Amino acid sequence: MHEKLQSLIIEDEPYYRSSGNEVALFSAAMKRKLPMILKGPTGCGKTRFVEHMAWRLKLPLVTMACNEDMTASDLVGRWLLDAEGTQWHDGPLTTAVRYGGLCYLDEVVEARQDTTVVIHPLADDRRILPLDKRGEVVKAHPDFRLVVSYNPGYQSAAKDMKQSTRQRFGAIDFDFLPQAVEVEVVAHESGVTPEIATRLVAVATQSRALRGRGLDEGISTRMLVHSGSLISEGIGPHDACALAMTAPLTDDPDLQAAMSGFVEAQFGPRP
Amino acid sequence: MNAHFEAIQGPVSARKLGMLRDIDDCAYDALIRAMPLISDYLKNEIDLADLAGLLLQIASEKPEAARAFAHRIGSDPALVGDYHGLRRWAVHGLQKHRNDTKCMLHHFEWGSPQAYSDEQSLHDTEELLRERGALLHYLAGFGFSEFSIDLHEPDTDGRQTRAVTIDDGVIRYPRRFYGDTTDRALLRRANIAHVAAHLRHSPLRRPAGNRRPSLVAMTALVEDARVERLMVQEYPGLKALWGGYHTATPEVSGFDFAGLSARLARALHDDTYIDANPWVGKGRELFEEAASKGLDDVNAFDRLARTLAIDLGKMRLEPSADRQPEPIYRDDNAILWGPDTALPEDRERHSEIEIVDALQDGEKAERDVEGIDVRHRYRYPEWDHRLSELREGWATVVEEELPRRKTRPSLQRLTQPKITLSASARVPDRAVRLTRLTEGDEIDLNVVVENVVQQRARLSPDGRIFCRHGRRRRSTSVVLLMDFSISTERFVPGSFTKVIDIEKQAALVIAEAMEAQHDRIAIHGFSSNGRHEVNYRRIKDFDEPFGEEARSRLAASASRHSTRMGAAIRHATALLEAEAADHKVVLLLTDGEPSDIDVAEDDYLVEDAREAVVSGLSQRVRTFCVTLDRRADHYARRIFGQRNFLIAERASTFANNTNRTLTRLLAL
Repeated sequence: MHEKLQSLIIEDEPYYRSSGNEVALFSAAMKRKLPMILKGPTGCGKTRFVEHMAWRLKLPLVTMACNEDMTASDLVGRWLLDAEGTQWHDGPLTTAVRYGGLCYLDEVVEARQDTTVVIHPLADDRRILPLDKRGEVVKAHPDFRLVVSYNPGYQSAAKDMKQSTRQRFGAIDFDFLPQAVEVEVVAHESGVTPEIATRLVAVATQSRALRGRGLDEGISTRMLVHSGSLISEGIGPHDACALAMTAPLTDDPDLQAAMSGFVEAQFGPRP
Repeated sequence: MNAHFEAIQGPVSARKLGMLRDIDDCAYDALIRAMPLISDYLKNEIDLADLAGLLLQIASEKPEAARAFAHRIGSDPALVGDYHGLRRWAVHGLQKHRNDTKCMLHHFEWGSPQAYSDEQSLHDTEELLRERGALLHYLAGFGFSEFSIDLHEPDTDGRQTRAVTIDDGVIRYPRRFYGDTTDRALLRRANIAHVAAHLRHSPLRRPAGNRRPSLVAMTALVEDARVERLMVQEYPGLKALWGGYHTATPEVSGFDFAGLSARLARALHDDTYIDANPWVGKGRELFEEAASKGLDDVNAFDRLARTLAIDLGKMRLEPSADRQPEPIYRDDNAILWGPDTALPEDRERHSEIEIVDALQDGEKAERDVEGIDVRHRYRYPEWDHRLSELREGWATVVEEELPRRKTRPSLQRLTQPKITLSASARVPDRAVRLTRLTEGDEIDLNVVVENVVQQRARLSPDGRIFCRHGRRRRSTSVVLLMDFSISTERFVPGSFTKVIDIEKQAALVIAEAMEAQHDRIAIHGFSSNGRHEVNYRRIKDFDEPFGEEARSRLAASASRHSTRMGAAIRHATALLEAEAADHKVVLLLTDGEPSDIDVAEDDYLVEDAREAVVSGLSQRVRTFCVTLDRRADHYARRIFGQRNFLIAERASTFANNTNRTLTRLLAL
C-alpha cells in the first residue's frame, strides 16, 4: 500500500445496518471490478454504506464531493511549480487509480458533464486513465474501484448523467429503510431508547407521505439521527424535532404546521 | 310608491332598473312592487343601484332566480339592510347551484341570507380556509391525500351544524368555530386525527337498520373510543392531544344522556379518570374486557354498545334531537351509517369548493365526456371587489379544439419592418466558464503553469491567465394574449384596417422576432360568452414552431363575443407556471376595456382583471398590455399599473409599439 493512501484506510467498522442484499451485490460487483452507481434520497445511508464496504474490502477510501466548479484537473491532477521547475501532482482520482483504492464520487451529477467524461476509460474494460497533459497512460491498479452516487429526486433535466456514462455502471437503488430497521439504526446512532426511536421514525414516515405535496423529500434517516441525538442531550422532543427536522426541511408554513402535527401525534401536544 | 323611494331614485339607479326591465320584466315588476317596503332600508341612490345591480346579475344568469330573489326581499325587506351579506348569499347560490335550477330556486326562496351576515362565521370561515392547506397536509400524513375540506351549508331554519362531518372525499367543517379553546389549530388537528382514525379503522356506511337513536349514539361512542385506541397504538401522542378535550366530570356534565355519554367517553379514554356512576363503570369494564380480546372485533363492541343503550333505556334517558358531539373534537359520525339512517340525506351536501386542486395548478382538466363536448375546461376564481373576496371557481375557461389542417387562408403581410429585439439581460451562470482571459476573477492554475513553463523555455508566454464565470442569456417565455372579442371587427379610426388584423400583424411580427431570438413564445386568444364560457384559443403553443400551420390558424381566427380579461389572464398565468424561464410575461393585445354579457356592474371586470394581474405577479408572471383604445387610460392604469400599458393610437404604429413594449419589459 502506498503511504499516500495509508491514512485513508478505515480502521474501525463503520456501523451499517443492511436491510436487503446490497452488501452481497456490491461485494460481487467489486470482486468483478464493476463500477457502481448508488442512487437514493438524501440521508438514506449511501455514504455510510460506501464507508462500510471500504472497511469490509480493506480498501482505502478516496472521497470526492462533486460540484459545478470542479474541473477535470481537480480530479486527475495538474502541473504545479516549485523551485526546480514544474512538478506533476496527481489528483485524487489518479492516486486511487495508480495505487489502488476505492474512489467515491459523491453527488456526481453536480459536476459538469464534460468533467465526468474523464472517468469513461476507467469505467470500461480498458481500466486506464490517460493523462494528456503529462503524456502518460496510467493503468489502473488491480485494487482500484470506482463508485459514484447521486440523488435522482431533485435533479433537474439539466443535471443528469450522460447515457455514455450511465451505461458503464452497475447500479443499486437505495431507499429509506423499513420501519423496524430504521428504528434500530436511529436508536443505535443517536442513543435514544427504541421507544423514542419508534416515534421519531413514525414522524418521518408520515412526512414522507407529503412528497409531491410541496415537499421534495421527506424526513431522512440522517435527520432522525440528528434529532435523536438532541433528545439524548436532554432537549425536549418537540424542540429537537423542530430544530433538526421540520424547520430545516421546508419554509412552507402549511407544511411546517402539518409536520408539527405529526410530531404532536407521537409526543403529544407541546406542553 | 312612497316618498322615500322617489327621493332615492336617480340617474344611475334608473339606468340599472331600466336594464333590469329589459332583461326580465317580471323580476323588475316584483322589485318595484316590493319597493315601498324595502326602500326604508335603502339609504340613498347608491344603495338602490347596488340592489338593482345585484338583481341584474342574478337575472342575467337565471331570470327565475331573480324573480324568486325579488319576491324574497319583498316578503322579508329587512334583508336589504345588509347588502354585503345579501350579495354573498346570492353569489353563493348562483355558483353552487349553477347546474341545478330547482336547487337554485330553493336557495333563493328558502335559504338564509342571515348566515352570511354573521361576522363571526365569516371570520371563522376565513380562518379555516387559511388553515385548509396545513390540515390537508396533516391528513395526507395519515395516508389520506385525496380529501378536501369544505364548509357546511347553513341550515334553513337558522340552526347551525356544530360538528365536523366526513363525507365521500370531503370533510365538512361548521361555518362557526365552537369551543372556548385558544389554540384553534390544535383543535382542528385533533379533529383531523379523529377523522383519520375513522377512515382507517371504522367500517364505513353500515346500514343502520332499525336501530333506535340511543343505540346509534352508543354504537358511535364505542366506535369512537375503539378507533382512537387503535390509532393511539401507532401515534401515541394523540392520546394527550385528544385527552385535553375530555373535560366531562359528574359535577359539570350531569346525569342526562349527553352528560353520561361524555363521562363514559372520558372514562374510556383516560384510565386515571374516576367516576363512581355504575353505568359508566359498567361501560368501562365491558369495553376493557372486549379490548383485551382484540380491538378489531367490531361485533363485540357493537354488542356492548347495545347493552349500554338498553341500560340507558331502563333509566329512561334518550338523546336530545340537537345533540352535539362531546368531546368537541369528534365528528358527527354520519360516516358510520349508510344512506337509510340516522341522518336524513341532505341534498344540499354538494361540494362548495369542489375543484380546489384544479384551481391551484390550473392544469387539471375537467373533461365533459358525455356526448361530443370534449373540450378542456378550467375553473378560475373571480374577484368581487364589493365584498373583497374571491368567488371560487366562478369563471370557466374552455379551450377550443382548433381545426387542424383545414383550408389555409393566407395572412396578407402588410409592409411591416422586420423587428429585432435588443439582446435581453444576461444572468451569471457558474456552469459557463470563460478561460484564457487577460483579466478576470480567478487565476487559472493550469494556464499559469503553462505560462511559466514557456517563460523558462525562453518562449514568449501568452499572458492570458485569468478565468471567470460567464453569463447566459436570460430565458424568456411570453404568452401573447390576443383579444378576439367582437369589437375587434371594427375598423381602426382613420384607416381601413380592422383591429383584429392589426393584432394579427403584431402577433406575427413579435412571434418571428422572438423565435429568431430562441425565446419561447405562445400565441393565444380569448373571447367570452358569459362566465361559463370563456373561450381560449391556443393558436401557437410554446413547444410548437411558428410554421405554416400556426400561421394559418392565426389568419383564420375570427372575432366574436366579449372580453372577460381576468379569466383569460389567469389561464395564461397558469400555463406560464409550467415554464422554467427567468422571465414570464403575458402580453395582452386588446382594443377596449373588459366587458361581458352577464356583468352589469361597471367596475367588476376591471377590478377582477387587476386582481388577476396582481396575483400573477406573485407567481413571477408580469402582465403588459398594448391597447388601441384611446380612452384606455383610466382603466388600463387601474388594471395593469402605471407603466405596464401602452396606448397605440395609430394602426400603423401598433406592431412597433408592441415591439417597443416588449423590448422594454424584457430589459427589466
